[in-house]
Amino acid sequence: MSTTVSDFTGFSTRLRSSFSPRLLLSELMLKQWFEPVIPFTVMIALALYFTVTMPDYRTAANISSLMRLYAEFGFVALGMAISLISGGIDLSVGAIFAACNFATLFYLYVLGFPTWGVILATLATGAVIGAANGILIGYLKARPFLTTLVTLIILRASVNLLNERFATVFATTTVDSDAWDYMGEGNVLGVPINAAVLLGVLVFGHILLSRSRYGWHLTAIGASRKAARHAGIRVERMLFATYVISGTLCAAGGVFYAARQNSTDSTTGVGWEFQALTAVVLGGVSLAGGKGTVWRAMIGGLIVFMLTNGLVRMGIPGYVTSAVIGLILLAAVGIDVKWSKNRGKVAQKIYVNPAQLTLSPAPSIEAGSGSPYAHNDRLVNAQAIGLDQIEGPEDVILDRQDRVYGSTRDGNIIRFSGPNFEQREVFAHIGGRPLGMQFDKDENLIVAVAGMGVYGIKPDGAVFKVTDETNRTWYKLNDDSRLRMADDLDIAPDGKIYFSDCTTRYEMTTNTLDVMEGRPNGRLVCYDPATKKTSTVLNHFYFPNGICVSHDGQSVLIASTSLCKVFRYWIEGPRKGSLEILIDDLPGLADNINRASDGNYWLALVGIRSPAFDLAMRNPGLRLRMVKQVPIDEWLAPGMNHGCVLKFTEQGEVLGSWWDPSGISHSTLTSMREHKGYLYLGGLENNRIGRIKLEGVDEAWTGYEAYWGSKRRDRH
Amino acid sequence: MGAFTNIKRDLEQIIFRNREQNAIPAMDGAISPNNRLDALPSIGEPIPGADDAAEGPDGALYVSGGRIVYRLAGDGYTNRTVFATFEANVGGLGVHPDGRVLVCVSGRGLAAVDAHGRQTWLRQAEDQPLRCLTGVAAAADGTIFLTDGTTAYEPDDWCRDLMAKNHLGRLLTCRPDLDSPNVLLRDLYYPNGLSITPDGAGLWFTESWKHRVSRTAINGSVLGRPTVVLNNLAGYPARIAPASGGGFWLAMFAVRTHLVEFVLREDEYREAMIRTIPPSRWVAPALATTNHCHEPMQFGSIKALGIEKPWAPPRSYGLIVRIDANGDPIESLHSRVGGRYHGITAVREVAQGLVIVSKGSGRVILAKAGVTS
Repeated sequence: MSTTVSDFTGFSTRLRSSFSPRLLLSELMLKQWFEPVIPFTVMIALALYFTVTMPDYRTAANISSLMRLYAEFGFVALGMAISLISGGIDLSVGAIFAACNFATLFYLYVLGFPTWGVILATLATGAVIGAANGILIGYLKARPFLTTLVTLIILRASVNLLNERFATVFATTTVDSDAWDYMGEGNVLGVPINAAVLLGVLVFGHILLSRSRYGWHLTAIGASRKAARHAGIRVERMLFATYVISGTLCAAGGVFYAARQNSTDSTTGVGWEFQALTAVVLGGVSLAGGKGTVWRAMIGGLIVFMLTNGLVRMGIPGYVTSAVIGLILLAAVGIDVKWSKNRGKVAQKIYVNPAQLTLSPAPSIEAGSGSPYAHNDRLVNAQAIGLDQIEGPEDVILDRQDRVYGSTRDGNIIRFSGPNFEQREVFAHIGGRPLGMQFDKDENLIVAVAGMGVYGIKPDGAVFKVTDETNRTWYKLNDDSRLRMADDLDIAPDGKIYFSDCTTRYEMTTNTLDVMEGRPNGRLVCYDPATKKTSTVLNHFYFPNGICVSHDGQSVLIASTSLCKVFRYWIEGPRKGSLEILIDDLPGLADNINRASDGNYWLALVGIRSPAFDLAMRNPGLRLRMVKQVPIDEWLAPGMNHGCVLKFTEQGEVLGSWWDPSGISHSTLTSMREHKGYLYLGGLENNRIGRIKLEGVDEAWTGYEAYWGSKRRDRH
Repeated sequence: MGAFTNIKRDLEQIIFRNREQNAIPAMDGAISPNNRLDALPSIGEPIPGADDAAEGPDGALYVSGGRIVYRLAGDGYTNRTVFATFEANVGGLGVHPDGRVLVCVSGRGLAAVDAHGRQTWLRQAEDQPLRCLTGVAAAADGTIFLTDGTTAYEPDDWCRDLMAKNHLGRLLTCRPDLDSPNVLLRDLYYPNGLSITPDGAGLWFTESWKHRVSRTAINGSVLGRPTVVLNNLAGYPARIAPASGGGFWLAMFAVRTHLVEFVLREDEYREAMIRTIPPSRWVAPALATTNHCHEPMQFGSIKALGIEKPWAPPRSYGLIVRIDANGDPIESLHSRVGGRYHGITAVREVAQGLVIVSKGSGRVILAKAGVTS
C-alpha cells in the first residue's frame, strides 16, 4: 500500500483519481444505449469474420445481393419487434408473409391488378389479417401467444391449399411490367429497392417509437398494461393498431419477396416467426415488453441473417443451421430474462468504488496538548435560539435587521426575530434541502439547495431560481449538467456566485457514500448574473463543501470535507485560475467557512477523523466490502457527535478552536456566522441555533457590511 | 489480502450461511430492549473497576473492584468495608463452602482468603502461570473450578485477545487447599465465568468470543462432555449465576455489532489497527462509552435533533438475561445507548435481591426482590 500523499491541486491528479474501470463499467451499465452494444459488437464481428474467411464477401455485388436477400426478413422481424414491445407476441408473422406473398401473385396474375394496385391490395390484405389478430387480442383480450399461433396454423393451411390450386397458374403466366420488375430487381441510389424501403420504414419507425405519442403509449403498455390503462391510455385500440402494423409490415415483405421470386410454394416463410423472434430478442428487444427499438431489431435480424446465410454458404446442412439458431434463441432468451431483471442491481452493486485516500497525519486535539485544536468547552453553554423549533439548520445567517435565518431539513428557511429571537416564522419554503446561504447586494438571500440548485429569496419572501444546471463535462458518462448537491455558496465583489456541488455521483440522502468512496466527485461552479451563465470552474474536486470569498475578493476558499483540507482558488490577480492548499492537516472534516470581523476566517469541522476512520480511508477494499456487507447505520463514520469551530488566518494558520467536545449542545456543527460581537452556530442535525459572545471583537461588524457596506476590506 | 482470499471468504459466506458471524441474532422476544436496568438504584458510591460479586455465608456481599475486595453488609448493602487488598486488579470472586473467599487476581493467580485475612495461593497450572483468571466456583464437596480466559493476556487486555481472535482459554480444577491443579478443557474462546448448577451435578461456563454457554456434568473433579446450552448470543457473555426457579442469569458485558463482526473478518485492517492504534480507539466492543471523538463512531449514532438514539449501534451496552431450565431466555434487563449501566460483568441472586455489577460505570446495582419476575 502506497502512503504517498498526493498533491490534490493538479487537475490531472484529480482526474486520474476519479477514474476506475469498475466505476466506468457501473456508469456504462446504467446507460440505456449500453444494452445493444453487445449484439452490435457480435454483428460487426460476424461481418468481419465472413469478410476474412469468404472470398468475394466484401464485394459491392455481394453486399448488394445480401441486402436484397435480407430486406424481406427485416420487415418480418420489425413486425415481430413491434408486437414484442407492446408486451405481446406475433407468431403469425411468417404465415402472414407467406399469405401476402401468395396474395401479391394472386392480385397480379389472376386478377390482373396494376403494380400500384397490387401493392396497395397486398398491404391491405396484411392489415386485415393483422386486424383479425388485433381484434382478438386488443378487444377480446385473447392471449397473444395462442391467438397468433392459431392464426399461424390457419393461414399456413390456407396458403398451402391455395398454392396447390394456383401454382400452375402462377408458373405459366407472365406479366410484362417495368414497374413490377423494378420492385423485384431495381435499385435506389445503388441500394436494392427493398432495402431502401426498409431503411425508410426504419427511420420512420424509429421516430414513431421514440418521438411520437403512439410510441410512448406502446412502450407504456408493454411495460405495464395495467398502469397504462390507469394512466388513461386506450389499450385496446393501441394493441389493435399494433397488430395491424405488424401485419402490414409482413405484407410489405411479402410484396418484395413475390416481386423478386415470382413464385410461391409451401416452404415460403416457414420458420420465419421463429427466426424473427430469435433475431429481435438477440438484438435486445425484451420478451417482457416495453423495451426495444427498431435498430435493436435490425441488429438482431442482421446477425441471424448473416449467420444463416454464412452457414449455408459454408455448405453446412440446413437442419444444423436451424439447430444453431435454436441454441442462439435459447441463449438470447436466457440472457434477456436475467439481464433485464438484474442489470440495475448489478450496476448498483458496483456503483460505489472506494479509492485509497491517505490523509496528512492528524494534529492532536487533546486538552492540554498545546495544539490550537485542543479540546475546550467554549461552546457547551452556548445560548440556544429556537430550541426544538428548527430542524437541522445547516447554515445560519443574519440580516441587516439582526434577524437570524436557518436553512432546515424540511426545505424551509426559518427566521427568528425579536430581541431574544423568540419570534419564529417560515421565511420561505424552497423545498429540497437548503444548505449554504449568503445575502447579495440587494439583500436577496441566495441559498444553495441540495437536490435543486441555487435559489434566491427576495426580502419579501418570494422564491426565485438562480440556476439549476451547469455545462456538461464532455468526457463523463454520467450526465453531470444538473446540480446534484449544491452545498455552500459565496458571492464575489462582482456579483458572481461561487458555489460547491459536492458530489455528482450521489444525492443528499446518499452523500455518506461519497465520503466512503473518497473520490473527487464534486466541483466548484460559478454563476455569473451578468450573462446568466453557469459554468464549472473546478471539476473533479474532493467533496467541496464550505465556500468563502476572501476578504480582498481575490480568491475563493474551498473546504474539502473528505480531504480534511482547505484550498484557495484565485479568481482575480496575477495567480488567477490557480489552486493551492491553504490548510493541509485539519483534524477533521471541514464544513462551512465564513469571514471573521478581524480579517480572519471561521471554519466548522462537521466530523473528527478518528484513527480507525483514517485507517479505513487508506484501505479502499475494506470500505467497499463494508458498504456491501454492513448495514448503512453500522458503517464506520468519522466522529460527528461534537461541535468544533476553528479560526484561521489569511495564511492558513489556525489560531484557535471552540469546542463542544461531546456534543452536549452542538453536535454535527456545520456552520457559524459572526454578527455584532456574537458567533451564531448551526448544525446539520441539531435542534437549535446557538450563539456565544465573542470577546474583543468589532461589535459593529456584520456580514452584510463586510461584503457590501462599510466593513469591506477589498478596497481601501 | 489477495483477491482469492476475498473470493474464498465470500464463498464461505454463501455456503455456510448459518455461521454465527453472519447472523447476529435480533434482540427480540424476551431480549427486546427495555430500560429496566437503567431504572434500578445503585449501592452507594461507585467502585472503580467493579467486576464481580459473591455472597458470603454470613449474608455479606463481597465485591471486587480495582485492587480491593470490598465487603458490603447491612440492609441494602450500604455498609462498605475493605475486605482484602492485592497487588494487582481483582476479578472473579467465589465463596468456598468452608467460608474462604476465592479471589482471581490479574496476572497472579487465585487467592483464597479466610476470615482472618490469611491468604493461600494457586499461581500456575502445568507450568503455565494463571494470568487471566476470570471466574471461580466451588462445588459442595469443596472442589474448586476456575476459568482462565486466555494464556496470552491479562484480563484488562481482553480486547486484544478478542481482536487477535485467540482461543487460548482453559477450564481448570484444583483441590480445596488449592493444590493439584488440573486442566480440564483447553482451547476455549475466552471462558469468562462459570457456575455450579443448583443440583451440584453440573457446571455452566461461558465463552465470550464464541457467544455461547456450555454445560458439563461434574463428578468430583472429573468433567463430562460439554454440551452447548446457548449458542450465537447477541452479546458477549460474562458471568453466570443460578436463578431461583431453575435456569440461570447471564451477564453480557457488551453486545455484538455488525461493524465489529465485519472488522473481525477483515484481517488486514484488524492487524493494522492493532499495530497502529491504541486499544481504546479500536473498532471493538467496550465496557463504557466515553464520547471522545476519536472513538470510532457509526453513522447510526449521529445525534438527531439533539437526541442520542437509544437504538444506535452500541459501542457499549448493559444487558442481563434470565434463561429458564430449558435454555430459553425468559426475561432481560437493558441499559441501552446513552444509558447509565454499561459493561455488565456479573449478576447474582442474593438474599436481598439481585445484584448486578456494571464494570463500565463502576456501579453495583441492587434489584430488590419483586423487581424481576
